[in-house]
Amino acid sequence: MVATFLSSWAHVRSRRADGWSIGALSLCLLLLGPVVALILKALGDSGGLWGHLLDTVLLRYISNTLVLMVGVGILACLFGVATAWVITRYEFPGRILFEWMLLLPAAIPAYIVAYTYTDFFEYAGPVQSQLRMLFGWTRPSDYWFPEIRSLGGATLVMASVLYPYIYMVTRIAFRLTPASLFEIALVHRKSQFWAVGLPLARPAITAGLALVLMEVVSDFGTVEYFAVETLTLGIFNVWLGMNNIVAAAQISLVGFVFILSLLGLELYARSRQRFASTSRATHALRPLHLDLRGQTACILVCCIPLLFGFVIPVGVLLKFVLTGGLVGNVLAIAEVLGGSVLVAGMAALLITLVSTFIVLAATYRGGAALRRMAMVASTGYAVPGTMLAIGVLIFAGSVDRSFAAVTGDGRASLLLGGVGILILAYLVRFQAVGYGAVLSGIRRLPDNMMGASRVLGNGFTSSLRRVILPLLSGSMVAGGLLVFVDVMKELPMTLLLRPFDFETLATYTYQLAKDEMLEEAALPALMIVIAGLLPVILMNRMLRRTE
Amino acid sequence: MLSSCIFRTLRDGLRALPVTLFSLLMLGGIVQSVHASEVNIYSHRQQFLLQPFLDAFTAETGIKTNVVYASKGLAQRLQAEGEASPADVILTVDIARLGEYADLDLLAPVSSDILNANIPAHLRATDGRWFAFSTRARIVVTSKERVADGAIKDFEDLADPQWQGRICTRQGSHVYNRALMASIIAAHGEAAATEWGKALVANLARRPQGNDRAQAKAIFEGQCDIGIMNHYYFGKMMFGDKPEQRDWANAIRLVFTNQENRGAHVNISGGGVAKHSPNRDAAVQFLEFLTQTTAQQLYGEINFEYPANPSVDPGGVLQSWGSFNRDELNIEKLSELAPSAQMIIDRIGW
Repeated sequence: MVATFLSSWAHVRSRRADGWSIGALSLCLLLLGPVVALILKALGDSGGLWGHLLDTVLLRYISNTLVLMVGVGILACLFGVATAWVITRYEFPGRILFEWMLLLPAAIPAYIVAYTYTDFFEYAGPVQSQLRMLFGWTRPSDYWFPEIRSLGGATLVMASVLYPYIYMVTRIAFRLTPASLFEIALVHRKSQFWAVGLPLARPAITAGLALVLMEVVSDFGTVEYFAVETLTLGIFNVWLGMNNIVAAAQISLVGFVFILSLLGLELYARSRQRFASTSRATHALRPLHLDLRGQTACILVCCIPLLFGFVIPVGVLLKFVLTGGLVGNVLAIAEVLGGSVLVAGMAALLITLVSTFIVLAATYRGGAALRRMAMVASTGYAVPGTMLAIGVLIFAGSVDRSFAAVTGDGRASLLLGGVGILILAYLVRFQAVGYGAVLSGIRRLPDNMMGASRVLGNGFTSSLRRVILPLLSGSMVAGGLLVFVDVMKELPMTLLLRPFDFETLATYTYQLAKDEMLEEAALPALMIVIAGLLPVILMNRMLRRTE
Repeated sequence: MLSSCIFRTLRDGLRALPVTLFSLLMLGGIVQSVHASEVNIYSHRQQFLLQPFLDAFTAETGIKTNVVYASKGLAQRLQAEGEASPADVILTVDIARLGEYADLDLLAPVSSDILNANIPAHLRATDGRWFAFSTRARIVVTSKERVADGAIKDFEDLADPQWQGRICTRQGSHVYNRALMASIIAAHGEAAATEWGKALVANLARRPQGNDRAQAKAIFEGQCDIGIMNHYYFGKMMFGDKPEQRDWANAIRLVFTNQENRGAHVNISGGGVAKHSPNRDAAVQFLEFLTQTTAQQLYGEINFEYPANPSVDPGGVLQSWGSFNRDELNIEKLSELAPSAQMIIDRIGW
């Protein structure tokens, strides 16, 4: 990888700026527009509110956010890395099934899991009712039961649905580690996992973890429902409670800075390490056979995250749908499903194209500056959705005003109020997902691939078309599918930016769930999951091919 | 097979990236065609609560309605859209939200004899920028079993140490509690309101959490004995289609507070006409419709809210809960005091 970096860098420095670099640079600037708009907003005068915040709530917001990040980070890594390891390294009954099922929780929005968990674990829920029946307790004071609406509950909920981000990339990393290295560990009686697997998978784990932590910092639905006072809740208290959107923008940048500094730290730590595989693995890594106890352990490792991230929430939703008998509004939901799939599909297509374009330009044409720019341009993911939507609004507002000035029609609008602004918002937010997928794909290509093709007489674009793109297709499609699932789940930006009378499954579900109509919300919520199934299964096939 | 097909699409798309980008953006423009005789609504009020009103309005006038519902950020959307905004009417469920629109100068003054006649002066802006359509009282609920009738009369009573460990509420920073705190500030001043809040927090049985209904549920389950909620949730629990919620409602007694002094704290749902409304006449017509008998009765029937128009009978169920005195504080005051209320809430950790 480092070798790729060095060679392409040297080779690119000599080039003049061309269409590719200019195009990629303009796309990056477009992506950064809304974030910059938010930063500009944050530069305003917050009316001395920070003194009050520092004296009262800010430390609590920050410490809760950090505890949540650390907790979710650790638990999601445990779930993601452990499952990836047993799936790639061992043979046990159900392995093929678990391999794709472990991706399923990615299709469920965290806030829906929060609703279902409350139903499942609260006083009147099935777990506590059974316990009371079993032990003859009658009142809450008769026993202690952990409160699900808490920091701990939020940690469990988020880790259970976010670990697939880590599982997915770590699995590839384990599978791509040359089998010979594991054999060396065996010969030297060192742990295959600690001495070889984990250190070599570290870049992949970090990449997945970064996505997880960005989700944690920007989450609102779960922390609101569980009344956990994080920075996101603070943003809304300041904005809506004190009518101070400037201070709200400032707080949202605090979370953003958390993420950037974490990423910076990791980049720094990694800059002194080199990972390079000069030859392809000579033979495939064969899963090890285990005794019965080992097999049971593997199954358990896979079952626990699946239980928390999929079986319980989907079980609760199914119970609601079956007992509610709410088939009446199926038609309305089908229409909403259509809208969801349309915008998610458009966003996935566009993000894949933009990501691929930027990655190709940054790898083969642009310099180090463009690469850094491309990374910065994908940080929209770390800004809480509603605040990013405000940034998108300000940015789109100025675009529309220029458009109106050009056309001379004061009511002309290019972005605001249409589907265009939604797609722009998804692009800004989920670029990180597509970019990460395509980038990891191109990093796995041998660094001399492009050079070899050029030597054989192919031009640059023809090399891309005939050599690079076909090899990149798996990562492109996997990235696109992941974006599709993410957009299907996306709530705060869609809610604020959507056109008149337009609903996605997420906004439809949210409006019902918000008013405690969980039974009515269950069917559209399940549809989000079902619509996520096909992409998840497809994605698994892509991943296997990449492997 | 499928994947190679997807890939081919992607590859062709990449070649046509500029065209794709442009056409996606243009799609935005296409969606936004403007029809005659329609009203475009930005609503903070949930759509399923709003729909019956819209249906009735369209049936009566033939004017079509379009809605964007969102709980946060619509004011910023309106602001960003500026003169090009398609929005005609803004609907909210809290006076502080209306205040935000007014502060950002996003509402147009409306002078309508119908509106002025139907809505009392303390429930509308003096310059006609916004009007209340319904009122909701914030009330105390107590356990029928464990709290004596009449033991709590005023919100101020919740500060009494005898209730230590027995009160449940949702988070202080929720808009309903923030407005309640603002009303306490209006009545007693900031220092006394802070003391009251501290004593209330000291009496809490559990960390503030859940929504208003969850407090009734906690009383039913015995986790606490006293809660705070908006009055209409009682109706929704009692007459909704969830049998378990009927049990929660049956476990609690309603206390309309402060009857012997300033009256019960009420908040409003309301709205106004957008500053750059393209269909202004229809927008005013819609507001007028909302203040007349048909719509005013719907507020009670759908959501157990009290009509803002004093000449409209609130309906049987609401009447059966008894009449009560309202705090006739100019409702704008609650909006002005909201930031101070939030600061106190931050300070006392509610």
